[in-house]
Amino acid sequence: MSNMGRQIEIGPTDNTSNERTPRSRLHLIPEAARASFAPYAPYNYGIAPSESDMTRIAAGRPRAQGDPIKVTGKLMDQFGRPIRNSLIEMWNANKHGRYTHIEDHSGLPLDPNFLGIGRTLSDDEGNYEFWTIRPGEYLARPDIGRYRPKHIHMSIRGGSSRMITQMYFAGDPHNDTDPMRILMGDNFDKNIGQEFATPDEGFDCGYKFDIVIGGKNPTFFETT
Amino acid sequence: MAQPETKSNLLTATNEDTLGPYYPISLCDNDSMDLTVIRSGIIHKPVGEKITITGCVKDINGQLANGCLLEFWQANANGIYRTPDNETHELLDPWFNGYARHRTKDGNFTLTTIKPGACGERAPNITLTLFSDGIMRVVTQLFFEDEPSNETDALLLSIPEELRERLMIKKTGSGDYNIEIIMAGDNETPFFDDLLS
Ligand SMILES: [Fe+2]
Repeated sequence: MSNMGRQIEIGPTDNTSNERTPRSRLHLIPEAARASFAPYAPYNYGIAPSESDMTRIAAGRPRAQGDPIKVTGKLMDQFGRPIRNSLIEMWNANKHGRYTHIEDHSGLPLDPNFLGIGRTLSDDEGNYEFWTIRPGEYLARPDIGRYRPKHIHMSIRGGSSRMITQMYFAGDPHNDTDPMRILMGDNFDKNIGQEFATPDEGFDCGYKFDIVIGGKNPTFFETT
Repeated sequence: MAQPETKSNLLTATNEDTLGPYYPISLCDNDSMDLTVIRSGIIHKPVGEKITITGCVKDINGQLANGCLLEFWQANANGIYRTPDNETHELLDPWFNGYARHRTKDGNFTLTTIKPGACGERAPNITLTLFSDGIMRVVTQLFFEDEPSNETDALLLSIPEELRERLMIKKTGSGDYNIEIIMAGDNETPFFDDLLS
């Protein structure tokens, strides 16, 4: 049928995927309804510059434990055209692998100076930049002893809805056993941040992570 | 997830990845489910009929889906969405944003809002985006039963007739409505894809 979209696959990492993944194919949105699916959060107007500095709870507060890193890149479509003014939300665990989310029951150490949540808008060239702490790996499935490699979550909102992705780190020993990495196959490279030196900038290093929206991403973006 | 091998010059898209269980609820300034108040302590109220929609999100076993993050997006009573393009629209309601975000701890929710108006040819509706552990996100639109414009709505007409009923918010009393979202299995809620290709 021509008006059917993707079949969402049951994901391997999350505990409730079997219970919560729709079994029917998604229905394609007719053109007449497309614009109405794009929410515009009023908060987009008022994002403070300090919200992209996740190495501190707030400007002027002490730095969090661990290695400060820069995560920067360009948001673009498959033609390389910049995607401007899009909300990028980022969240990651602290250096010990602990999130501040109330449902992280791992018992790993919390850092009073780390929230692990930031947001920013891409600029006129599609560029974005965050400062954060290099996250620790964590035992995501104690029942089977499986770790999640170090990773940083991102949500990108463009002209319509969302893209959800993660940036990984080259050489993490847990990469090879991560189910999402296995699903991505060779294309996993696209989700690895490319390390670069940041001499005299107060960071351990930077990671370049360009985000290309399109192809099989289940999100439609306008580039105007 | 892997992209097919192609010979084109198009850049390879970044892979989508799981949302995980720790999607930060605090990215929103305030977890709010009352769209009728955008500033507390102010006498102005949005135009339109104030309604309360109770609902729940259930999994394939009929169990409540705890810990979901819900986003609602709708037009005001005049059918105008508060997008940047509409900021100077004469029918924009300065006391209505139309956007709510809420984490439901147990799978139940209550949304207090204004009944949306019809936007152009579209029947009145509320967009629901659902984020949860186990999925990335899914999106759908919810309609009001007994709205004559449902008969000609482009989105409703695009799905098989027997599924339309599942997107209907049911009236349960004066100003009171109810909807059940079923993520998977029997009576599964129709979800939509915004994939272009
Ligand atoms: Fe994570």
